[in-house]
Amino acid sequence: MKIGAPPRGRANADSEAAWGVVGYLVSGLLFWGGVGALSDRIFGTALLFPVGLLIGAVLGLYLVWVRYGRT
Amino acid sequence: MSSAAFALSHNFVAAAGEGFTPPGLGEFIFQPYFSDGTLPWLTKPLVASVFAAVVVMVFFLVGSRQRALVPGRFQFAVESVYTFVRNGIARDVIGHGFEKYVPYLVTAFAFIAVSNLFGVIPGIQFPTLARLGFPLALALFSWAIYLGIGIKRAGFFGYFKSVMFPPGLPVFIYPLLAPIELIQVLLIRPFSLALRLTANMFAGHILLLLFTLGGTYMLFNESVLLKVLAPFALASAVGLTSFEAFIQVLQAYIFTLLSALYIAEAMSEEH
Repeated sequence: MKIGAPPRGRANADSEAAWGVVGYLVSGLLFWGGVGALSDRIFGTALLFPVGLLIGAVLGLYLVWVRYGRT
Repeated sequence: MSSAAFALSHNFVAAAGEGFTPPGLGEFIFQPYFSDGTLPWLTKPLVASVFAAVVVMVFFLVGSRQRALVPGRFQFAVESVYTFVRNGIARDVIGHGFEKYVPYLVTAFAFIAVSNLFGVIPGIQFPTLARLGFPLALALFSWAIYLGIGIKRAGFFGYFKSVMFPPGLPVFIYPLLAPIELIQVLLIRPFSLALRLTANMFAGHILLLLFTLGGTYMLFNESVLLKVLAPFALASAVGLTSFEAFIQVLQAYIFTLLSALYIAEAMSEEH
């Protein structure tokens, strides 16, 4: 019988990764896409929204790598 | 042609022309029980939700009243649910200091499981958490708890600093990443908790309705082919009902597991 608790976060690291990855990708798109769309409205351009989405996607992926890819 | 015969044939043509109306959003909108305008908020999902809370309370109260050393069947069932969440989720995920959060996690799991299972229980047959308001309230509980833990541990600014600036990254990248980390913790988590639950219950309910109503429609259709195929649709409805029951418990587990993960993350020093 196990008496002591296992180290924190170990048992379900995989499921955490699965949900966390989606969260980071969505957050990246949402924030920097949103910033791009907003800047487009302010400056009257049409290019910043896709640029923002791209930056957000890249940063989201980068965060996924930082959080779950290294070790 | 007599007018009665005309009306009959007209009806028949109209019925054939209408065809099958698939279940849609209307299935999730309930009229208040009193049509005269008193208590306009008293609808089926609300009553079912309160009933779910009562079921959970009675389940645990009755199950823990005797606390026999050699448990009877009912006490064993209650203890299995409790032990499953305590050891399988709280202890394994949170680790040291998990005891404080067992009551919330057990309650959340039991309430969500019961509410979801209402979707396949005859007489109720509506998963209350398919209405976004209910899971959103539950998600806000988890949200408040993990934010509260983090803020209590590291202070308001300390906690958000640890969220937004995870150590070990090149400095120039922080302005780009910090907002992503922040909305991840503040917005995406509670909404993904709530939406995942709602979307699963919503889709499952629609699926069951589609097979049941569609099967019934085929059975009473003029077409022989549809009549012959109807039993397959109805049999699928039965099979899908047990599959749904599995999904309903699984979603309760996922909600509880993720809440525990967020709590664990807020508790840990290194974020």
